[in-house]
Amino acid sequence: MTVKIVTDSLSDITSDLAEELGVTVVPLTVFFGHESYLDRVTITTDEFYHRLIHDTIWPTTTQPPPATFADVYNKLTEETDEILVITLSSKLSGTYNSAIGAKDLVKKKCKIEVIDSETVAMGLGLIVIATAKVAQNGAKLDELTKLVRSAMTRSHFIVYFDTLKYLAKGGRIGKAQELLGSMLSVKQILTVKEGEMAPLTRMRSLGAGMDYLYNFAANFPNIEELAVEHTTTPDEADRLVERLGSVFPKERIYRSTVSPVLGVHGGPGALAITVLEAEKK
Amino acid sequence: MKQVDSINGQEFRDMFATATDWLEKSASDIDALNVFPVPDGDTGTNMLLTMRSSIEEAYRAINTSASTIVEAMARGALMGARGNSGVILSQIWRGLAQGLKDKKTFNGTDFADALQQAAIMAYKGISNPVEGTILTVIKDAAKASKVQADNGNNNLVSVMESAVEAANESVANTPTLLPVLREAGVVDAGGQGLYTIMEGALRYLRGEAELMQFRKPQIIASNIPQPIRLPQMVAADEVPYGYCTEFLLKGEELNTEKITARLHKKGQSLIVVGDDTTVRVHIHTLDPGNVVRYATSLGTMHQVSIRNMDEQYQDFLEMQKERTPEVDIATIAVVSGDGLSDVFTSLGTTAIVPGGQTMNPSTKDILQAVKAAASDKVIILPNNKNIILTAEQVKSLTDKKVEVVPTRTIPQGVAALLSFDYEADFETNARLMTEAQSTVKTIEITHAVRSAQLNGLKIKKKQAIGLLDGDLLAAGENPIAVLNKMLAKIDLSKAEIITVYYGMDTVPDEAEQVSTNIREKYPQLQIEVVRGGQPYYNYIVSIE
Repeated sequence: MTVKIVTDSLSDITSDLAEELGVTVVPLTVFFGHESYLDRVTITTDEFYHRLIHDTIWPTTTQPPPATFADVYNKLTEETDEILVITLSSKLSGTYNSAIGAKDLVKKKCKIEVIDSETVAMGLGLIVIATAKVAQNGAKLDELTKLVRSAMTRSHFIVYFDTLKYLAKGGRIGKAQELLGSMLSVKQILTVKEGEMAPLTRMRSLGAGMDYLYNFAANFPNIEELAVEHTTTPDEADRLVERLGSVFPKERIYRSTVSPVLGVHGGPGALAITVLEAEKK
Repeated sequence: MKQVDSINGQEFRDMFATATDWLEKSASDIDALNVFPVPDGDTGTNMLLTMRSSIEEAYRAINTSASTIVEAMARGALMGARGNSGVILSQIWRGLAQGLKDKKTFNGTDFADALQQAAIMAYKGISNPVEGTILTVIKDAAKASKVQADNGNNNLVSVMESAVEAANESVANTPTLLPVLREAGVVDAGGQGLYTIMEGALRYLRGEAELMQFRKPQIIASNIPQPIRLPQMVAADEVPYGYCTEFLLKGEELNTEKITARLHKKGQSLIVVGDDTTVRVHIHTLDPGNVVRYATSLGTMHQVSIRNMDEQYQDFLEMQKERTPEVDIATIAVVSGDGLSDVFTSLGTTAIVPGGQTMNPSTKDILQAVKAAASDKVIILPNNKNIILTAEQVKSLTDKKVEVVPTRTIPQGVAALLSFDYEADFETNARLMTEAQSTVKTIEITHAVRSAQLNGLKIKKKQAIGLLDGDLLAAGENPIAVLNKMLAKIDLSKAEIITVYYGMDTVPDEAEQVSTNIREKYPQLQIEVVRGGQPYYNYIVSIE
């Protein structure tokens, strides 16, 4: 029996890709007032970002309840007795706790391993993708767990923020707090460090930001996987992919849209790049 | 959503017992927020102790009807109230008890009404209510819950939800209402404490008690971003705070209004609450003896506490110091003009040395700033070609590691500062910052101090002149005309953003006109106009 891989919607793995890899994606929830939407399930990224920009209601987000994970586990136990769950950073969301809490609610005997990836978006997505590929070839749970731990040290996620307003409002700003309050309009590059958002550097313009993202990837000698994602500026992201063609085969770059739940914090104009370094031989 | 139509006293007690545990988890974080009315750093602890006393009393209640339990909790809060916020909290309980009088169980509407009552009582307990505190938070929460209940939503969860949501916004907004919070860059500690209690209660109602073990309450971020971490996080008032004097007064026919009137002039932050047999008094006074004498004339004193707040304040400063993260690498910028100083500060410069063209700082000035910096690695941004050498001198005069990034203009300094990489080491940062200078072009518009012939230009004394990265390229009758000439000399097709810093002698309208002109000619560019307040230069323009 192959080990089944479960992750959450903040991995930014599209439904097509999830199906291809045999990965189950558990959605978080985004609220506009009292209206609730399942991330990427009952709200598309286009609908969401349109509302994020035009709606007067500030959206909020919430983790999936343990029951949702339990449903997923129970369904998967019909075809496997080993499940590997990889969630976004537990410092950014309680999803990890829900995934753990749901273990007690599983009816059939099944080994379930839950790992806090300490990252988010494609930083998490690329870890899941790399793991799922190996799982499809029949690797066992302990082998896959080791792979996830290794991939966590090799996954490098950085994001360009057009504004930090959304991140601050959602209370997820972490160590980047000190970047707020600039008197000039400033763009920021943040990363995830020890599970929290942390500042990397700043610049005045989108152009300089794109250069930074490009150079970030170009400086890795050995890239296993590469991902580029956007919130509201697909054209900029596509241009970045074109440029990155010189350091990595363009057609192998994962292109994704930042999921609504994460977009609440990322805001319009955010662009992210993730490098999964190849394992050192 | 979970529906809870009504609850009894036992559930009510458990709800707030859970909320008290929730508060306990962030009590020390709340202590650290405490700057008003006195920065003694004990708000979270005081509120926690008050809640504990309240819950203990609830467990002693003779039956489990809601009104009995709430009354017991109000009594417990009054008996155990500590500090300003604790006493106000006890008033809130008293209001709730009044609002839920004679109710065995209660529903959302009852609770919303009781919260109204709680808000009214909270204000009543204070001789001079200040907005932007726990008072505003309970008022806003009560209002929102009332609206929810009046909309026919009788479910306790949704009433509580709307109260908690409103409390959250209200807390975030406290720095807007209270300047001392704004200066310290924090939200009100008492308000945060109340929010945390209410949030804990809501989580209980939602059935999340289990989950709460793994989580921690969040401190709400201020609506107003804090540009810099002040070394001292409080408004620097030299006024002594005196003694925080608290006690419980027991007697007969005690009259809180009379006591309030009598003690009103004896100190600050006066709170007198209670009934005719038990009254709790809290006051910050320079002469506690006076207050005690008066109190003993009325009845017996219990739980007397007199603490020296100046000592508490020193402890608080120490606590803040421990919490202020040491900067790994300090940056010092030489800047003149209050506007430009604000710009550099808002971008995270550790220290500013005043100076620039015609007022070069001495090596000693810069050395002092280097010595005072809270790091042993310092990067200096001279921002003027005449100051680079002075700054270099500092290296040999200190044991600290010092690098001078040879910025020659303000825009170069800004570019260098922004390129700071939080993950990189000292040497790498010095290199990155040096490289970043070339990403920006600087135009400076000033006046000729004497007549001269330079670069094929005939310049008359006092004429407006324009420099591009330090080279004189244009002269003319007025600054705007020269600025336009200068912009015409630059290839702006690759540029993205133009920042215009206007000087102390330039009127804002003229600066706005400049920006309109640029916008018309180069619509693809982003233009920002900032008051630099710098002397000597009418305009400093950065092109990136």
